[in-house]
Amino acid sequence: MIPFVAVVSLRNQESRTFRLWIPLVLIWLLLLPLGILLSPFIFIACLVCRVNPLRGVAVMWQIVSALTDTQFEVEHRSAGVSFHIL
Amino acid sequence: MNEHRRQILQMLSEGKVSADEAERLISAMEEPSAATKSSAFSPTSTGKDRPKYLRVQVDSEDGGGHEGPTKVNVRVPMQLLRAGVKLAYLIPAAALQKANLAMHEKGIPVNLTQIKPENLEELIEQLNDLTVDVDQKDANTKVKVRVFCE
Repeated sequence: MIPFVAVVSLRNQESRTFRLWIPLVLIWLLLLPLGILLSPFIFIACLVCRVNPLRGVAVMWQIVSALTDTQFEVEHRSAGVSFHIL
Repeated sequence: MNEHRRQILQMLSEGKVSADEAERLISAMEEPSAATKSSAFSPTSTGKDRPKYLRVQVDSEDGGGHEGPTKVNVRVPMQLLRAGVKLAYLIPAAALQKANLAMHEKGIPVNLTQIKPENLEELIEQLNDLTVDVDQKDANTKVKVRVFCE
């Protein structure tokens, strides 16, 4: 299952938290027609590089699917940044 | 199983095989059962015990009080690592040859074309038992790094 939402949290020195929910599903929907448009060029590039295009698509899909639950947090003093893919 | 063993012993008594050959046959016959037993009870074979995440934690404390403490916490799904190593499928052979040449020039005798994706996946599997702890203490700073699977 590909991730649908990413949450970015920012906390400043005064401990105010700003949380941004990014709907990744919209990004996927925007990228889908772009990917379809670019697919002939990607196919040609794969052939030039002697890479199986189907395998390439499968690997990219697996990477995107595996992004779910990735988390990254940095805290410095009382400020911090957090990025979580749901 | 006993039937096979009896047949081997029969062949030995008839002089069709030597004692060494009979021993090798019996041990070869026993190996698959031992392998299945060990794999059935190994923790990596059951999906329940397999770790799901690779975690990197960094705690840094500044004793001088100028910078303040810093904490980094990264959690990467093991599935992402497995998918990442599959990118090796996409590396063109010409690029691998160039990388081999560059590494040989640097004195690193590694042939990347010999590394198969299966080897990389096995490498990821072995990360399950990985734990790296690094503690550094200076007069002003104290840094603790932990890399482990959970």
